[in-house]
Amino acid sequence: METEIERLRKKVENFPSASLYNRLAELARQAGDEIQAETVCRRCIKEFPRSGQAYVILAEIKSAQNKKAEAIHLLLQGIEKDPRSYAAHRLMADLSDNRDQALHHLRQILGFKPNDPATVQRITELGGAVPTGSTTARHRVVAPSGTATGSSSGLQAAIQRPNVVPRPPPALDFAAPLPFPASTHPSPHEPRSVRAATSPPAGTVTTMLRSIGGPKTAVLDALCMEAGVRGACMVDRLGRVMMAKNLPAGQDELLAALSADILKAATATLVSHAAGAPATWVLVAGSGQVLTFSRDHSVSVVVLADPGIRPAMLELRARQALIDLGAA
Amino acid sequence: MEEILAQLNRVRGIGGSLLVSADGLPMASALRSGTDENDLSATVGELLGAAGRLTQHLGLGSTTLFNAVSDQGGLLLVSTGPAFIVLLIDAGANLALVQIEAKPLIERLATRLAL
Repeated sequence: METEIERLRKKVENFPSASLYNRLAELARQAGDEIQAETVCRRCIKEFPRSGQAYVILAEIKSAQNKKAEAIHLLLQGIEKDPRSYAAHRLMADLSDNRDQALHHLRQILGFKPNDPATVQRITELGGAVPTGSTTARHRVVAPSGTATGSSSGLQAAIQRPNVVPRPPPALDFAAPLPFPASTHPSPHEPRSVRAATSPPAGTVTTMLRSIGGPKTAVLDALCMEAGVRGACMVDRLGRVMMAKNLPAGQDELLAALSADILKAATATLVSHAAGAPATWVLVAGSGQVLTFSRDHSVSVVVLADPGIRPAMLELRARQALIDLGAA
Repeated sequence: MEEILAQLNRVRGIGGSLLVSADGLPMASALRSGTDENDLSATVGELLGAAGRLTQHLGLGSTTLFNAVSDQGGLLLVSTGPAFIVLLIDAGANLALVQIEAKPLIERLATRLAL
């Protein structure tokens, strides 16, 4: 075990990736070194904020330490990053004092892992109805308030009456997960700390939209359809990806982070000769170019394009995307 | 070198020019009074470093051109092989026109540097 941990630690140092960090954290935890496991998880979250697994491992550690509120908060973040995390939903179900909440999370599991024996058994133990033929549930995603991807009357009813578990028609019984606000709605009997921990964190909507490819990602469609555009993403001033299109996993975050670095350096250079922060910058290299257009210096559209593409049309599309985002 | 930079400054829209190494060390400059050569070189060096990291990680090759534009002015960096020419652009300048008019002078500078 020691050797494997050492080997992984060296590998993580040289070729950091979320999966390696998670494996290292798991091994450290198995070896009883919870402090190291926690450190590795926190580093993974910092370097790979899109990875949900690190939140779940961290939540398991906190749960084992009887820090339930902290564990729930981490699990909610993990589910936000990865709505199909079996471990996260399962632990949430175990930690929930609220039976309806527990059932909600267990039913979420059946959405992507139909007829899972352990989940079915747990639902039965809790006295819930076990859904049958849950294949269509795979297409349903729990969405934050106002961005529901499903359109069943049960879902609508749940939005209007967040305390009430919807009772949709039998055919949809298995496929009606509660919307996000209902699942986290605090019970009046819950301690205040738990209520705070289960509230959706700030920025949930944008992050959630990014992870589920929500409707707002359509604002990048026109831009990405332009000839020569390889992909684009929308980034906040700290270099965090709000949404991305046509960029391979990992490349969007890299592009966003390094673009933020460039913006910072370009701003410093421009300010040194009395010009303000740039609204636009273009970097042309041998086999590609990166173009960034910002609005109010808070949100930027970063475009990765082929060399030789003229920026004027891309700027038009990017500015339209920024307007659409603001208007949406 | 300074002579070519002075000619560059005569192009409409250019408010100063500087030649820096890829590390951000100043090689020659023709800047307006009040603009510190060393400060500008250092920030440009940092900018080139960030640009180099991005192009390297995304496999885009080496940086050939960079421009940044704000309401109060802009910046144009053009690779001349071993060094970069930094052109400070006045507010409201036509960037495309500046590039066209500056091109022959930049090529002259690149040829001089290659010798």
